[in-house]
Amino acid sequence: MEPIRILLSRCSALFRRRNLDEDLDAELSSHIEFAVEENMKRGMSAQQARTRALREFGGVTQTKEAYRVQQGLPFLEAVLIDVRYGLRQLRKSPAFAATAILTLALGIGGMTAVFSVVEAVLLRPLPFKDSGQLLSLHEWVREDPHEFNVTAPDVLIFQRESKAFTGEGGYVGAGYDVTGAGAPFHAAAERVTASLFPVLGVDPLLGRTFTQKEDENTAPVTVISYSLWRERFQSDPGVLGKTIDLDRRPYTIIGVMPRNFEFPLDAGRLSRRDLWVPMSFTPVEKNSEGSNYDYGLVARLRPGVSTAQAQIDVNRVIAGIQPRYTAVAGLHLQGYFRTLKEETVHSARPFLNILLGAVSLIMLIACVNIANLLLVRAASRRREFGVRLALGAARRIVLRQLLTESLLLSAIGGTIGAALAVVLVHAAAVHLPDSLPRLGEIAIRWPLFAAASGFAGVTGVLCGVAPALASMRTDVLDSLRDGSHAAGQGRSQYNLQSVLVILETALALLLLVASGLLLRSFAKMLETDPGFQPQHVLTASLSLPRHDYPTQQKVDEFYAELQRRVETLPGVRTVSFSSNIPIVGQNGGRLITPEGHVRSVGEGFLIASTYLVQGNYFQTLHIPLIRGRYLDDRDVQAGAPMVAIISQSFAETYFHGKDPIGLRMKVGDRFDGPMPAITVVGVVGDVKQGALDQPTVAQMYEPISQAAAALGPMAAMLGVAGNMDVVIRTADDPSRLLPSLEKIVHQLDPLLVVSRAHTMDEIVAATESSRRFNTAILTAFAAIALVLSLLGIYGVLAYAVAQRTREIAIRMALGASRKVVLLRTLRYALTVAVMGVVGGLIASIGLTHFLKSLLYGVKPLDSATIAGAVLVLLCCSALAALIPAQRAASIDPMRALRAE
Amino acid sequence: MAKNDLQGTLDLLVLKTLSQLGSLHGYGIVLHIQRASDELLSVEEGSLYPALHRMEQNGWIGSEWALTETNRKAKYYKLTAAGRKQLQEAEKNFEHLVKGVRAILRYA
Repeated sequence: MEPIRILLSRCSALFRRRNLDEDLDAELSSHIEFAVEENMKRGMSAQQARTRALREFGGVTQTKEAYRVQQGLPFLEAVLIDVRYGLRQLRKSPAFAATAILTLALGIGGMTAVFSVVEAVLLRPLPFKDSGQLLSLHEWVREDPHEFNVTAPDVLIFQRESKAFTGEGGYVGAGYDVTGAGAPFHAAAERVTASLFPVLGVDPLLGRTFTQKEDENTAPVTVISYSLWRERFQSDPGVLGKTIDLDRRPYTIIGVMPRNFEFPLDAGRLSRRDLWVPMSFTPVEKNSEGSNYDYGLVARLRPGVSTAQAQIDVNRVIAGIQPRYTAVAGLHLQGYFRTLKEETVHSARPFLNILLGAVSLIMLIACVNIANLLLVRAASRRREFGVRLALGAARRIVLRQLLTESLLLSAIGGTIGAALAVVLVHAAAVHLPDSLPRLGEIAIRWPLFAAASGFAGVTGVLCGVAPALASMRTDVLDSLRDGSHAAGQGRSQYNLQSVLVILETALALLLLVASGLLLRSFAKMLETDPGFQPQHVLTASLSLPRHDYPTQQKVDEFYAELQRRVETLPGVRTVSFSSNIPIVGQNGGRLITPEGHVRSVGEGFLIASTYLVQGNYFQTLHIPLIRGRYLDDRDVQAGAPMVAIISQSFAETYFHGKDPIGLRMKVGDRFDGPMPAITVVGVVGDVKQGALDQPTVAQMYEPISQAAAALGPMAAMLGVAGNMDVVIRTADDPSRLLPSLEKIVHQLDPLLVVSRAHTMDEIVAATESSRRFNTAILTAFAAIALVLSLLGIYGVLAYAVAQRTREIAIRMALGASRKVVLLRTLRYALTVAVMGVVGGLIASIGLTHFLKSLLYGVKPLDSATIAGAVLVLLCCSALAALIPAQRAASIDPMRALRAE
Repeated sequence: MAKNDLQGTLDLLVLKTLSQLGSLHGYGIVLHIQRASDELLSVEEGSLYPALHRMEQNGWIGSEWALTETNRKAKYYKLTAAGRKQLQEAEKNFEHLVKGVRAILRYA
């Protein structure tokens, strides 16, 4: 009890310091007054009495000191004094302090932010129960390199037959126009089997998920997302049992999912599903073996079953499916799986690993730089420490002070770094490219911040205290004596610093090369011809519900009328519709067999992306005609022969350079199948179907009026083509046309939703953003690395010049010209830079292949890029060296020698 | 072994003085110890004030500012209940010390 009370009183004394001091002053002076009074009573003069009293009292200051020591917490007070002293020291050399703090902040902040992102996207387990047990199943055909999901019948077969899993959930994407919940909108949805939510182990926030019965009976029920519940139903707890219209059919809401629930975990921010409905396979889907591999299948591994055993089980189930592939003779179906986590994050891994590598390099450079700065500083303060030790300061106290200064730097740098990390992580959550999954989970991870700060702190302490300790071991007199003797001592440190600068330069070159490669890739992408002219083009999606537009004829009538009305709008050049548009197109394609083509054993499929078009599609997008003709009115007439236009790469790959005009082909894997033959009437240029840096795929265009006929027996399964993109070329700003377009659509059908309305320029720019981001961030890192290593070169040279002022002065007094001094200093800088460059080149050769997946049109060892990076580094090094070199050259020998 | 260092002795002198004279300021304590010991003991001001404040922290004595008879402001110290107990303890310890030292001196 007692010690605690004393401690408390001491702690409070710390803050009442001023009061207590005044109190003591008053008490001591009253004591002295008493003594003076007493002495005067004995007959002394006032002067004598006071002198005597003071002499008798002894040291007033010592008394106060002794009083203080027991009054407060001496250690803490000493630390506070050290901190105040340290702050004063830092303020005295603002350039040093600012550089060190900024370097630390950049290192710690960048490291924390990038690690936080990597942790959220790559490392953290998926937000499902025992998510490590969840697997994603795939099928592929041995004869073809493409990787598929699974077919609808196989979802059912796996659910029935497999033994290695406790449950399997199937899912497939869908979209619905939603009405009856505020303004109509187009919802991203997922059809899921009743087993999916239990397999994931996620319970709804409200209500329940689907029953097996609802799944089998096509019950019109839906589970909605948290955000839909909040935005459209104002978080109404009574939402269960209400109905909303999906594609104009009423669905009962039976559940609301929790806030953070997201499935499937697709990349990007806009991939979140608004609602889920029962899978309820249609009879056509159940009989579609071997034709549509769009269905996802997630399974939960049975406890105690190894992945090898699971693979054997999957092979067994696949072997059971294989005989159904009789229709597609000669194909060998294979099954495999990977963890759902791996499936989610594998595409994000290369970029994030590179980011991690780059930021680690920055952190390393930052630490090297801090080491360098502190070494320079410790060396320049050797004399100060010598003086203090000579005057009787205890080594312990000087060390404590140095330690305090180092930690002070780390603390300030760390604080700014933390603020930087918070800003960066927030920015990352908003600006990271949509090619990454799990962006919603990104949050700052404080343990990582602690680790980064600890790392920087240890560097600071080691580099701040170690040299001081070493110099203190030596004779005190030695450090006070200046000149020749001290120069010998400085040399080993000078060498150490040179090594640090070489290391920094090498790392900076590595980052420069990496960023150069990405910059070149980005430039290459911008140069890439998309195959059409995106300027002055507006696109928007329409989805005609099948119940209201049951026949192709109805659909065609709607679009024909829409085209007629839009064409009358002022500023509209041409209007067309297509089932697919460039850049954001669906890559799913159709099997094509040209007439006379016999697929050899082991040959892959011929697959072409299909565009069902109406109106002047090619003229609208300015896709150039290479041979033959565009589609026109005669193809739309009833009974017109089946025709198609193919892209250039299609012609080259599938017709082997022959003139394809007039040649025939069929959809499917054999030409002798039941499908109708289609005649090629034209060849157009390739368009980029994905982002500009993605490979070109073969494309074919058919008139929409022939779509149903061209599909033959498959028409019933794929249904009528009610989902179309409107593509309009305008005379001026296309975005101004949108309100008029919406008005016309609503005149035709008041319930129809115009979704995904963008100009083509916006669409192209959006797909560039991911590469733009990667490039920008790596370039920023390279710039930081460059600046830090230049600071390193500058610091070492400035120190060397300051240390050798006397030596240089003597040289100049003995006749060395300013030019020689200048060149000698520059030569040192260039030697260090060249050695760094050599190291960096070796590192680049070893490491740039890791960048391969991010490069486009550039090889990892692009000589122009590497040469550019080397040139930039050498020029900048020379610039950084110029200031201290000039300072050395401008030394006035007389003044310098006299000053010593 | 009892606590009987020199600091303890100064504490004892101060506590005893206060117990005999009631409330007193620092100068008065110095004066009293000097006179009562016939100038044999003199208390260093440098150790008195830290000792006073330590004892105050320990709760053995209390203090307040008051006016002297000559109308001067001074800080007066007074024994507390805990201080009274401490005084008994210290006196006992001191007796032990004296007995022990004497025994050593007489040993021959």
